[in-house]
Amino acid sequence: MLDELVFQDCTHSHDPVVGCALEGVSNIIAGVRDISIVLHSPQGCASTVALGFDNHECDFTQRKVACTRLFETDIIMGASEKLRDLILKADATYKTKVMFVVGTCSADIIGEDIEGLCRSLQPRVGARLIPMHSGGFRGDLYAGMDIGLRTLLSFVQPWDGPKLPRTVNLIAPQASLNPTWWADLKWTKGVLTAMGVETHCVFPSDVSIEEISLASAASANILLTHDMGYTFLREMEDKHDVPTILSDLPLPIGLKNTSNWLRALGEYFDASAVAEQLIETGEALVTSTLRRRGLMIIPRYRNAKVAVSADASMTIGLVRMLFEELEMIPDLLLVRSNSKQARSVLDAELSRLGISPRVAFGVDGYKVKQALASSDLDAVFGSAWEKYLAEEVGTKVAFDLLQPTNRTFYRDSAYFGYEGMINMLEIVANDWEAAFRSKEIRWEQYQ
Amino acid sequence: MPKSEIVAARGIADSIVFHGPLSELYRLAKEGKIPTSLQGSHTRPCKFWTASKILSGIRNSILLTHGPSGCAFGVKQAYKLTNSRNSAAPYEPVVSTNLKQGEIIYGGERELRSAILEVDAKYKPAIIFVATSCATGIIGDNVDAVATKIAPEINARIMPIHCEGFAGEYRSGFDLVFREITKLMDVPTEASKAELAGYVNIVGAKMGPERTEVDTDVKELVRLIEGVGGKVHAVIAGNCSLEELRRAPSAAVNCALCLDLGYAIGSAMRDAFGTPLNSTILPYGIAATERWILGAAQYIGKTAEAKALMQREYEEIKDEYEQVLSHLVGKTAIIEGHDAIKSLSIAHMLERDFNMRAIVYNFHPWSAEARETSIDYLLETGLDPEILITKGTLALGKYESMQQTEAELLELLGNLNPMETVYFGSSLSFPNIPLVDLNAILNRPRFGYRGALKVAKCIKTSLDYAFRPRSEMSKRIVFPKNSGLVSVQSLTGKLAQDVPDCTMYAGQRRKGTCLMS
Repeated sequence: MLDELVFQDCTHSHDPVVGCALEGVSNIIAGVRDISIVLHSPQGCASTVALGFDNHECDFTQRKVACTRLFETDIIMGASEKLRDLILKADATYKTKVMFVVGTCSADIIGEDIEGLCRSLQPRVGARLIPMHSGGFRGDLYAGMDIGLRTLLSFVQPWDGPKLPRTVNLIAPQASLNPTWWADLKWTKGVLTAMGVETHCVFPSDVSIEEISLASAASANILLTHDMGYTFLREMEDKHDVPTILSDLPLPIGLKNTSNWLRALGEYFDASAVAEQLIETGEALVTSTLRRRGLMIIPRYRNAKVAVSADASMTIGLVRMLFEELEMIPDLLLVRSNSKQARSVLDAELSRLGISPRVAFGVDGYKVKQALASSDLDAVFGSAWEKYLAEEVGTKVAFDLLQPTNRTFYRDSAYFGYEGMINMLEIVANDWEAAFRSKEIRWEQYQ
Repeated sequence: MPKSEIVAARGIADSIVFHGPLSELYRLAKEGKIPTSLQGSHTRPCKFWTASKILSGIRNSILLTHGPSGCAFGVKQAYKLTNSRNSAAPYEPVVSTNLKQGEIIYGGERELRSAILEVDAKYKPAIIFVATSCATGIIGDNVDAVATKIAPEINARIMPIHCEGFAGEYRSGFDLVFREITKLMDVPTEASKAELAGYVNIVGAKMGPERTEVDTDVKELVRLIEGVGGKVHAVIAGNCSLEELRRAPSAAVNCALCLDLGYAIGSAMRDAFGTPLNSTILPYGIAATERWILGAAQYIGKTAEAKALMQREYEEIKDEYEQVLSHLVGKTAIIEGHDAIKSLSIAHMLERDFNMRAIVYNFHPWSAEARETSIDYLLETGLDPEILITKGTLALGKYESMQQTEAELLELLGNLNPMETVYFGSSLSFPNIPLVDLNAILNRPRFGYRGALKVAKCIKTSLDYAFRPRSEMSKRIVFPKNSGLVSVQSLTGKLAQDVPDCTMYAGQRRKGTCLMS
């Protein structure tokens, strides 16, 4: 039973720490190769779409976005003609295989018939037109990602033959607060390869429409988040008979979670020996690295009372690492999303650990601040938001690990797996040193 | 080099859309003889974003956005997080009524009312700005009525801001907020004017507190005002309080920071309260700086002190400045014109202070229309710089660093002597002549005497290192093969968050059509 916090004055006002459905949709579409977007919206929504592309670190050559730039008369009179013209222009300009025609709040509310227009226009354009309703009022970032995945599901073709042995689809790696989440994806693919398992399709990161269409041939789906994607998994099971594996386990963050995850994977694919080898090598890497460079973490972190303010994926994964491996005390867990599956996985994990930190789901900026202010904490694991909030409420140390981060990454750093643990500890160690460095040196006392 | 040469001799006549003085471009734009529409790829944030940007500069206020949460999240991440990063501001919320489908269908007024009560209780702000979004604009929630009715029940002041993203060009968000916040101001009394007799406001600022670790232009202006014995009452809206706003009309004069935006609020305050306006071009260079200082000083009775300050300031830079200047006189500068007012101000500095020839390159004709007030002012002051526009400026793409304008620039420059010509523009352009990038963070301040010296030294440094070819690595990063329309504006996530970019827009405004079309 989770010990959930209750907040006053938070029923109707929300200081969001995640974006809206449009950003979620864009975050999914941006992972598909050779696509363009025609956005039926006022111009500001283009910045929200840009956030989705930012999350994939798409460079400027990969962004093919057009916007109808709706103004007041368009809202009153409708703007189908404007949309039609722009689709034609964007098709001729971008020449992509698929074009997503995305309606945001305005187009959604005034009832633009995007489906009808796409249908009638399809014979005249080279790209396959995919209409989508993505008004921000349809939910938050995670709801938008679910909308995006549902749309991609329509590309998946039935697979009549036997499933391709030892193949998996990886689902929603980008639903992660690791600023370089693609490094986690790479790690995941690497361990699959080591076990002789092929990554069939990634939903979606640098993936083609053809790859998506064949996703039904895979022998399993692995969800790389606890924040969304469950509906997609269910439909993949129901419609295409692709089972989901590992979804009830914490993601491979820290030693124990990683070994559990690898063992479960090895067991499913009959590669337990490889899993054990990966575990042995990985644990040796962590141990030897910390013996040489991180011995101080034992006295430093032991029994430090900490908060984690993150998405469900990172929160659930970090709890065991912090509690068992670093001997910290996770006292407060603040989760940006609010899925019942995440609640269930976290509840089970806390029960196994025998701890009951205070927990809140679906937090906003105000709740995070209130929760931090009302706690006696030594440190916070979070993002740049938490760094400033911690400063304000007097929490000494804030570890800036997650998005949005102030940290500049020039190299990709996984948080999954054994190297991922070292990567995180490297950030934690540096932030710790910075936090305790004197800001006011009084030279005169040495004179 | 005669004017005709720079075009004809380089064989790019086919690429030229316009070449002539600003006054001529302005006339053509007014007569509809040159396209003034801003193509979609030169994208701007929407009215909601620009309104939020100004509001982000008002302390102890809460921005309550009435709509789905995405609008609030976007501006919070872009503006508020930047305030925290750059200016050591504490965490700043942007609150949303977080409307879902049900409220879109049945209306969100009750949600708004409850949200206002919650915000008042939990943040205890001096003022709540209720910003409307596209969604609530369309469903027709009566935000004004909700605000009026609830005002007696809350401690904060409340002000609706109707800034639906579809309700105007991006610029209209700035103008709207500057106009609206004058309603928060008190009519000056003799007593209040006497109290603030030695004070000036700096108007036309946006977003938030100044960077603490950078010698910013605003800080330089504050230093100059204090140097003549005046004081700055408020920077509007750059980290000013409601109380400062309230008393602002009693200050002796409003000094425009940005000629364009400063004029918007300065003229509104002048019309409503009679507060004098010192509106000059941006104080780049000594001539413009002196005009700005004298314009301020006359209203605080410090003209003599201003003249003494001007002499002192010049004395401090004189030796180095004059030495550097001797290397610049007679040279030509080509100034990238995508930032309209800045490019004209730089041209002013180069011509008046450095005796250089200035050509503003790719000043978008849209600016001739959108910056009407400022251009009128400039022309009245006798500034009529040479403008050269190539086709790439009017094409899809982001012209400060897109393939077409880059190619046109190189063609234009041909084999110009790199010791005689400099290019003022983004470091993401690669002309074969020395480049001066005044946006680089190290090149601050740019205003005032220190700024004039800084700019002169930047030019000299560029000339001194003209022998070094630009980095091939940088060039490959910015201009990949087959990059098509796109620009480098989205080169990194952080950059891309500043503005929506790489986006092609439809249905540009045409001369004679409604602004909202």
